Amino acid sequence: MEEAIKVDSLVTHYGERQILKNISFTVLRGQTTVILGGSGCGKSTLLKHLIGLLQPTSGKILINDNNIAGMREEEMNEVRKKMGVLFQGAALLNSMTLADNVALPLREHTKLEESTIQIMVRMKLDLVGLSGFEHFYPSQLSGGMKKRAGLARAMALDPDFLFFDEPSAGLDPVTAAGLDQLILKLRNVFKVTIVVVTHELPSLFMIADHVIMLDMGEIIFAGTLDELQISEHPRVRMFLERKPEAEEYSPEDYFKFIAGD
Amino acid sequence: MTIILIEKYGKKILELSGEIDMNASPVLRKELMTLVKKGVTPLVIDFNNVSYIDSSGIATFVEGLKGMMAFGGKLKLAALPSAVKEIFSFSKLDRVFEIYGSIDDAINS
Repeated sequence: MEEAIKVDSLVTHYGERQILKNISFTVLRGQTTVILGGSGCGKSTLLKHLIGLLQPTSGKILINDNNIAGMREEEMNEVRKKMGVLFQGAALLNSMTLADNVALPLREHTKLEESTIQIMVRMKLDLVGLSGFEHFYPSQLSGGMKKRAGLARAMALDPDFLFFDEPSAGLDPVTAAGLDQLILKLRNVFKVTIVVVTHELPSLFMIADHVIMLDMGEIIFAGTLDELQISEHPRVRMFLERKPEAEEYSPEDYFKFIAGD
Repeated sequence: MTIILIEKYGKKILELSGEIDMNASPVLRKELMTLVKKGVTPLVIDFNNVSYIDSSGIATFVEGLKGMMAFGGKLKLAALPSAVKEIFSFSKLDRVFEIYGSIDDAINS
């Protein structure tokens, strides 16, 4: 299968602190790749690099063979036209109706007639189960509906790539499962290459073709779901079995720490 | 994308080739809606050499069909490659559009 994204020796820092430590991996075209890991492992930072919102300290990020690391903003904007992103909070514009939110990228980036755009908007909203909500404002929607509307907007330009940042965050299990089904549908019908950042195990097992697990800014696992389940890496096992971290301090160390010794 | 209008057995056929994407759709819309406004019916669309269609292309044909239906005209889609047909099927539009396996089938229907 063809490579759609190739990350090579990626290193990044926030100030002096190294966040991603020499990361390399590949995303295959038409597959759903899940970037998994606990809070603070660097997975959202990695996603921001993949969509060109952050620049690495060193390394390459090849999207369709074009290195976006260090790419000029005008060139990056062209690459982004083929990317749809669903941010954690859906990032809808609250002053606009859903129809205008979905139409926005079409009005900004294409020369399509308004009549064509209106049909496309209704198609995109129907795709995510929001037919009839064109004239609603984001504030009138539930959390799950906002995510769906955000996805309709992410799909507006028929992207080759879809990126999801914690799609299930803040959703009840039933709504989250509905969103997972939608992600599967987009992969199967539109052959979109999908990258999902999550720490939700039920989502992982429903949508992933390929899994990359990060821990402390390093890849500790890359492979299929079956390979993940039989991995003997202790951090992978802790994550899958929902085991808590070991106590950071002994009671004596804790006492010394709070007593200021 | 290229668009050629031909006539066969007295029927107008719009031959399309290449990708019907967001760059091509405005051009296609102009051609299609000109024929619709002239009341050309039936109008057969030859998809044989279409390699890809995106949602802007689908929306363009929806608009074309809507225009045709307004005066009782017929828009017939013919020789759709399987990947193109899949997109129409997914959106259930294969039940709305008249879709034929070949140009001859569309002309003789």
